[in-house]
Amino acid sequence: MSPENATFMFYGFTVAWLVILIYVVSIALREKKLRQELDRVKRMVGEHEGEVKK
Amino acid sequence: MNFLRQAWAVAAKDLRSEVRSKETVNASLSFALVILLLFSFAFDPDAEQVRQISGGLLWLVFAFAGTLILNRSFARELVNDCLDALIASPATGAQIFFGKCVANYTLLVAVECVCLPIFAVFYNVKLPQRIALLFLVMLLGTWGITVIGTLFSAMTVNLRLRELMLPTLIYPMLIPALIGAIQLSTVLLGNDPLGTENQIWFRLLVVFDLIFTALALTLVEIVLVG
Amino acid sequence: MRLKIIVALSVLSGLILAWNLHTIFLKIPDELNQGAIFRIIYFHVPAAITSFTGFFVAMFCGVGYLVKGDLKLDAAAAGITEVSLAFATITLITGSIWGRIIWGLWWTWDPRLTSYFVCWLMYVGYLMLRNAIDEPNTRARMSAVLSIFACIDIVIVWKSIEWWRTQHPGPVLSIRSGGGMAPGMEAPLWYNLIALLMLSAVLILIRMRQQSMQREIDSLRRYAHAF
Repeated sequence: MSPENATFMFYGFTVAWLVILIYVVSIALREKKLRQELDRVKRMVGEHEGEVKK
Repeated sequence: MNFLRQAWAVAAKDLRSEVRSKETVNASLSFALVILLLFSFAFDPDAEQVRQISGGLLWLVFAFAGTLILNRSFARELVNDCLDALIASPATGAQIFFGKCVANYTLLVAVECVCLPIFAVFYNVKLPQRIALLFLVMLLGTWGITVIGTLFSAMTVNLRLRELMLPTLIYPMLIPALIGAIQLSTVLLGNDPLGTENQIWFRLLVVFDLIFTALALTLVEIVLVG
Repeated sequence: MRLKIIVALSVLSGLILAWNLHTIFLKIPDELNQGAIFRIIYFHVPAAITSFTGFFVAMFCGVGYLVKGDLKLDAAAAGITEVSLAFATITLITGSIWGRIIWGLWWTWDPRLTSYFVCWLMYVGYLMLRNAIDEPNTRARMSAVLSIFACIDIVIVWKSIEWWRTQHPGPVLSIRSGGGMAPGMEAPLWYNLIALLMLSAVLILIRMRQQSMQREIDSLRRYAHAF
């Protein structure tokens, strides 16, 4: 079998893992952004409630 | 009976409005002519090549021109909250949908009837002997395009990127109907014998139309009203 | 509890995948006709099966939303479709690489590739539609209807393209992979499938949790602006 055969096999596996990795990283980034947004909004609600109580 | 009466009321309204303004049909027809022109540059086909691609060429033109008509279908109701008024009317979602389907279908078939002789002239195609069968294929294929296009027009009517989303969503879905229509049209335009293997395409078109009409009528209430 | 499930499934699927890689590369010999490239099937087929399973399950989740009105079902449908689309992308690319070696072509309009590509396009459209609608209930309704249409269409598209290609055979015949594999060689395929299904379950659960976080953010924002 030509050496190209084995090379392409590695490309294939690399691509499969790369796509999964990229997807997982994008999910992780989204998670970070969502957490920051959630904290920000919770703080905003806390401030508003503080003002109302005054 | 009431179903048809209500649907016809909606269809008549759309058709009347279109006959008065002629904006959609003109745009659609002009676009079809432009595509025919562009294809002549893209492929510059000789007689034998035209024979092979005639069905494909014709149905691509119909599909692209049809999108313009289908897009306008629900978009024209956005002005002055007409869509809300329609939905609030006694007509059910299915009746409104079916009425709009009939109107779109009429307009699209009209555009196709004008395009076909022009196509024959531009590409030197002799009009086929079995023109009735070709017309039947056009009717079946166009209904498939209309049903799916009208439903997705209702779905995308409130989106910013309506004109982009509609073609993106409907073309993959229409592939079976387009394949069937293209195969049959190529055979009929080439005056080739319609063998038994081509009957499968007729069956596909009919089944496609039946399944998606039933599905659309069932689900359109959810899309329009919620 | 959910976090424990997520961690447990990830570890398990990671272990199976690692063990399979070991088997695939070290234990299984090169296939007679195809050579080394044949091993791609151990990712290609499980990814394809995972994606199809996902699309159909997502449709049922969509129908569930239409019946029950629970936005969590819509979140499940969206998460499942997204993950399935990632696996569908893997299927297309690994299939293309395999084809480059076996057929000498990066792409061919072979029935299965074409139908699969159409399927991929329909679900890209699904994600585009979801992105374009802001209101959660409208988005859930439209997505559910779209996924019902898409799933039913997948079947029709598959059969029609197969008939079309039988009449006009493409430049190469598609090799029915997986038929007549020696028993020892077939096992890693099913283990990989289980591992990928577990991996997709993990990703789906994480996505669903992110969607519920998004819903919480939206409702808190509405609450904050109500003052």
